[in-house]
Amino acid sequence: MIAFLARRLLFAFALVIVVSSSALLLTRLAPGDVTAQLGPFAPAAEVAGTRARFDLDRGAAEQWLRWSSRAARFDFGDSFLYNRPVRELLGGAAVNTAVLAAAALLVATALGIPLGMLSGSGGAGAGLIRGVSLVCLSAPPLLTSLLFVFLAATTRWFPAGGMTSVDALDGGWSTWLTDVAAHLPVPALALALPIAATFERLQAQSMAEALEQPFIVAAAARGVAPRDIIVRHAWRVSLRPICGVYGIAVGALLSGSFVVEFVTAWPGLGRLTYEALRARDIYLVAGCAAAGGAFLAAGSLVGDLLLAAADPRVREQGAP
Amino acid sequence: MLAAAAVLAAAVLVFRLRPSDAPPPPTIQRGGQIVASVRAEPRSFNRFVSRDQVTELLTILTQGRLARINRATYELEPWLAEKWESSADGRTHTLHLRSGVTWSDGAPFTSADVLFSFQAVFDGKARSVIASSLTVGGQPIRARAPDPQTVVLTYAAPSGPGLRLLDNLPILPKHKLEAALAGGTFASAWNASTPPADIVGTGPFIVREYQPGQRVVLDRNPRYWRRAEDGSALPYLDRIVLEIIPEQNAELLRLQAGELDLTSSELRPEDYVPVREAEDQGRLRLIELGVGPDADAFWFCLKPEVKGKNPLFAVVQRREFRQAISHAVDRDAFVETVFLGAAVPAWGPVTPGNPQWFWPDVPRYAHDDELAGRLLDDLGLRKRDPSGVRKTAEGVEARFTVLTQRGIGWYERGAAVLRDELMRIGIVLDIVPLEFGALIERLLACDYDAVYYRPLATDLDPAGNLDFWLSSGSAHLWNIGQRTPASEWERRIDTLMLEQAASLDFERRLQQFNLVQQILAENVPVLYFAAPRLYYAHSPRLRGVVPTVQRPPVLWNADRLGVTR
Repeated sequence: MIAFLARRLLFAFALVIVVSSSALLLTRLAPGDVTAQLGPFAPAAEVAGTRARFDLDRGAAEQWLRWSSRAARFDFGDSFLYNRPVRELLGGAAVNTAVLAAAALLVATALGIPLGMLSGSGGAGAGLIRGVSLVCLSAPPLLTSLLFVFLAATTRWFPAGGMTSVDALDGGWSTWLTDVAAHLPVPALALALPIAATFERLQAQSMAEALEQPFIVAAAARGVAPRDIIVRHAWRVSLRPICGVYGIAVGALLSGSFVVEFVTAWPGLGRLTYEALRARDIYLVAGCAAAGGAFLAAGSLVGDLLLAAADPRVREQGAP
Repeated sequence: MLAAAAVLAAAVLVFRLRPSDAPPPPTIQRGGQIVASVRAEPRSFNRFVSRDQVTELLTILTQGRLARINRATYELEPWLAEKWESSADGRTHTLHLRSGVTWSDGAPFTSADVLFSFQAVFDGKARSVIASSLTVGGQPIRARAPDPQTVVLTYAAPSGPGLRLLDNLPILPKHKLEAALAGGTFASAWNASTPPADIVGTGPFIVREYQPGQRVVLDRNPRYWRRAEDGSALPYLDRIVLEIIPEQNAELLRLQAGELDLTSSELRPEDYVPVREAEDQGRLRLIELGVGPDADAFWFCLKPEVKGKNPLFAVVQRREFRQAISHAVDRDAFVETVFLGAAVPAWGPVTPGNPQWFWPDVPRYAHDDELAGRLLDDLGLRKRDPSGVRKTAEGVEARFTVLTQRGIGWYERGAAVLRDELMRIGIVLDIVPLEFGALIERLLACDYDAVYYRPLATDLDPAGNLDFWLSSGSAHLWNIGQRTPASEWERRIDTLMLEQAASLDFERRLQQFNLVQQILAENVPVLYFAAPRLYYAHSPRLRGVVPTVQRPPVLWNADRLGVTR
């Protein structure tokens, strides 16, 4: 197990380096740069000063070398948009995204798995569940987010955007937590629905396959109640593909959160990345990519651990 | 059909609009908070080093200037300086500071703060972005202080805008920033991670809290110097919250839901209908700000050193070619289709939204496809085959790529209408929408045939936009940064604009500028088609709104805003 964890950490480290370096180089090579944010006709001296500040007056390779030597010391450079060190921005944004992602994963799991079990075992409403899942899978995140913002704005059941409200400024921790919880449903649902639909589809298919296994048939022949067959026997076996996809789901949460966080004004990593990309804020793009890579690696690790917990064969082999 | 529907919608809209609120009645209630939106983070709390709109807005809310241009009347108003005298030659101005003014932390405001602000603006290490706007005759404005309440400013040359230049200069506290300037760290002082308590000002509000990605909270400055007509203290509001909402559709939904009282900028044409419905239900007030001060622009790259080898350049650089294009565009239909009726036809860069400098008699080009065709025929661009596309005698097609910004509805609609209009006279336009950064890169390198875009003027006074008018200017769209004027008419504009900028006689300045507008219209290096009408929505509980076409349309007057309870 230790060897497995060590391999995973090494993989995570390599992923972060490759993803952030690629992001930096691609941002550098794409047309335009951050000086466009100064306006179309900014004075030449101001443009030159900004290019020098962000090493854009050096070659791409030299810029990468300078950046990577600083990044090794966790100094990711400055953000143009926020005019402060990227490191300061990443911490808060990553925590906010983690809160949102955890809530969305929880909702997706709570919705997707039971519904998948139900539809996979041919329970009532299987067709309806399948139809709703397909709609959720095909709806683009921009549309889903705007729909939820619209619903929140119309019904006023939840705040339509942001992570906290100004009224919570003067309250204590409990007020703040309650306020964050009130703001979570809109972005969390927008983010969770497509993932819940993915879980539902996978779980349904996997459950249907498990129910055809010989040991399930034998259990039924022994007179085990159908409910127990599904919950105690078939479900456990059918979890393997779900656990496998958890790591990918974390990646999907991150990429989906670009738009969801932008529309719902959630101050997380997705929105930060989106704004950085739009502005060609080169070091912020690279920093966000590094944080995103770390998220993906962590998600993948969690998925593998869940898989090992769910499937004894994986534990016996030592690694998936 | 579409155009007819647009006309009807616009007619209904205009009919239903009401004039904005009158100035606040004396009985306006004190206290309360308003929530406004901004689309981006503040890059800094120091306007000297950052030109972004949010920093500018925060500066208006938290800092004072010696004199202020009233955004509604365009008049120069005494502000931290309560009166002044100017010498006959317009080079020396003696300003008397308002007595009893203190910074928000209680320190007295004196002439030392004014001298410090001028010193900071022109300090090389500070890299101030407003330095060029405070330069006259190529020299910085010099300041001295005979006593704590008096400042004498000396200009190197007479200046047409005179003391209006002072609207560009927020006065910063010497006692808070002196060490940063001396230590060479002024450029990073008061950045986004500075504790709010360290940011003091003489404006109506103080920064209470900045939550990155979420909001800036501003509380009433209890030491603000300004009084209402009845002698009571301003501002009326206890708090202004600036919510950071990057996505414009979500911003509109939150405005409609009552989570926002106002937005930082005007509405898009497509937002009128939902906002009008919200107004009908009493949830919002819709107001017409007027015609915006900036028109859209379409121009060709006329830089010979870049485009000289292009086989069509000989034609493009002829003014008759550009005049033909101007004749080919039906501006009334353009207004209806591109702006859904919410615009007026434009013939030059100065629109009715800039009443002081707008010249209604600027030469116009009537919509006339036949005349356009004759002009092109005379240039040797003829329809030589059944394709209908004009070609030179050498067989080169009159085909151009037009760049515009991706994702902005009316840019893309405008470019599409131009393509259709020019196709009728045999000119082909291929539209390439680009991301903002890529567009700017190609624009500055003159790596394009034509561009459709709306450049924003930095100042309503033409002397503040010399970078556009002068051939050497960095915003001389069609041929940026010329060493010597590329044409005789550009040389003439250079001379007239430099004279105009240095003249103290407003009537003479106006005459000279009208002549400049005439020369520009005759040579059409840039074609203008429409200037949008600007609309704005705010919560009905807001009082004291004095809207303006300049940004910020409402918060410029924040110390007199109030709310009903």
